[in-house]
Amino acid sequence: MKVCVIRSAVIDAPIDRVWAVLRDFNSHARWHPVVASSRMENDLDGGVVGGVRRFSLADGTELREQLLRHSDREHTFSYCILDSPLPLFDYVATVRLKPVTDGNQTFWDWRSQFRAPDHRAPELGNMIGQQVYEAGFSGLRRFLSEKEGLSRPPGPEAAAATFPAAGGEHLPSKAMVVTSFGGPDAMTLRDVTVPAPGPRQVRIRQTAIAVNYLDLQHRRGITAGFELPGTPGVEGVGEIIDVGEHVNGLFPGDRIAYMSRKPGAYAEIRCIDADACVPLPDGVSDIDASALLKGLIAGLLLSRVFKAAPGATILVQAVSGGLGHLLSQWAKSMDLTVLGTVSTAEKAKFSRDRGCDYPLVAAAGTSLTAEVMRITNGRGVDYWVHSGGAGGLDAALACLSRCGHCAVIGDRDGQSIPLDVNVLKQRSLTVSAPVCFDYFDDRPYLHRLAHQLFAKIQSRTIAPAVETLPLSQASEAHSRIETRQTMGAVVLTPGG
Amino acid sequence: MVKVYRSTVLDAPADRVWRDLRDFNGMANWHPSIGSSRIENGQPADKVGCVRNFQLKDGNRIREKLLALSDYDYSFTYAILDSPMDLNDYIATLRLFPVTEGNRCFIEWSAEFDCPPEKAAELAEAVGDGVFQTGFDALKKRYGKR
Repeated sequence: MKVCVIRSAVIDAPIDRVWAVLRDFNSHARWHPVVASSRMENDLDGGVVGGVRRFSLADGTELREQLLRHSDREHTFSYCILDSPLPLFDYVATVRLKPVTDGNQTFWDWRSQFRAPDHRAPELGNMIGQQVYEAGFSGLRRFLSEKEGLSRPPGPEAAAATFPAAGGEHLPSKAMVVTSFGGPDAMTLRDVTVPAPGPRQVRIRQTAIAVNYLDLQHRRGITAGFELPGTPGVEGVGEIIDVGEHVNGLFPGDRIAYMSRKPGAYAEIRCIDADACVPLPDGVSDIDASALLKGLIAGLLLSRVFKAAPGATILVQAVSGGLGHLLSQWAKSMDLTVLGTVSTAEKAKFSRDRGCDYPLVAAAGTSLTAEVMRITNGRGVDYWVHSGGAGGLDAALACLSRCGHCAVIGDRDGQSIPLDVNVLKQRSLTVSAPVCFDYFDDRPYLHRLAHQLFAKIQSRTIAPAVETLPLSQASEAHSRIETRQTMGAVVLTPGG
Repeated sequence: MVKVYRSTVLDAPADRVWRDLRDFNGMANWHPSIGSSRIENGQPADKVGCVRNFQLKDGNRIREKLLALSDYDYSFTYAILDSPMDLNDYIATLRLFPVTEGNRCFIEWSAEFDCPPEKAAELAEAVGDGVFQTGFDALKKRYGKR
């Protein structure tokens, strides 16, 4: 009678990783528990359609199977059994992978049809389903999680990107350490050792570390979440050295960017939670990727915090800053009219080149409110992104259009910000105080937003402006930001 | 030709999910962007060739024609007849695959369409994130976390 066997599973690794292993018709001995050895007859390559593989199974029997169809484009291959000790006739099986775009996993469907004697059909069907297909799913999972057996996707970069496995050793590194809260000089560069990654962690060698305003507040001791002695920095970019237990989908040699509530980024080498990592596409450089956190916040402010309609007006405070210059470019790509505040004419020009239609230079004798009202024909702006703390919030609300929204971000001086709800009621205004990490705990959303950001960077819709300094000059970086000398983002480069 | 592909895993058997999704007139029950739906000319919702008429929550209307429906493959294919989006020859397919391990299902939703080149990225995002992923997120909530 005819038997049809279907088994399917979801593997916690990107499709390229899974396919890199499965596409080799001669690879089963490396990952499938029942296959003791495999070789191709006539010394053919594992990918040759028509090629025959000869398996020796763990129980000593032999099996010959022929590759009938193989497609890298469809992530599929089919094969038939030529010789088997079991009564399986006309056996044709197909392996097919599909990407799970929401979560970077892989759907794996493995099915076959064959004829078997009636009295043995159910038994053979179950045997193949469980001992071949289901055992194969677990075997491949085990194989992918063992870093020694790592097989990178085929391609010119594969040979070059073999990173020496560190084998769980402590690694020497340098890190900026704060021992007492204070000014930029409160940080000193120290020799440290970094232990092997713990469960669900990866250890990375960093190439770019973005400086965020939050780091300055941590150093000054005015924001919770930073303890002494401590290393500032909540995001970074680098290459994975090794991975801890229970890490799926990330491998040594992978380029990643991460952002995390837990500080510690100002270092050459560090361990980081695997689920804080976002893999980097080839077209995005390490330096551009260091815009991750600020870029994601820009995307967040323009999606979940407040969704401005095309044609609406937005005012971005400190529009030439690390966040501001990304926010203005992203807003411009959504057809918003962008106003921004800057402190100098030079910053005004910088901002105009980066999507800001109306950079407004603060000067004695000019009223920001009057300027905003003039530009918007008395209507006010629909959306105000406020980063000035208590100062200027009243003016911000006065500049909003009816039903306008003000997002209060950052925590410039740690002081309380009073808010009179009656002022909001006069014109149906809304105010939000988003903390990005609360939104980014939603990992699928974070990954979607990162995907959008990287696509915009690749198409140069967003071009991060970056000033780099060596990691050892982190104090200099902080003081330049504090004295408002910088434009765009400031990024530290280890080993520089 | 622009192509969009999105997929996810739902924590419910394919038969269970298909019962909800095969109703060509039932998308308003689970997709958050759709306010109401009706099938034109009183035709049955599982008759290939029928046209569904959506009122979106943003007020816009979309008319879509059922081109294929397969209970055997857990899939259906449809074309957009009228929509506020600047695209042509839009054909989409939604398909379920059982995930035998854990009795869940894999769902994929793909579309192909033509549009002015400068609009391609924006429309691909609107379809992929705004329609498909938004639908997936709602389905994931409906059937529990995976």
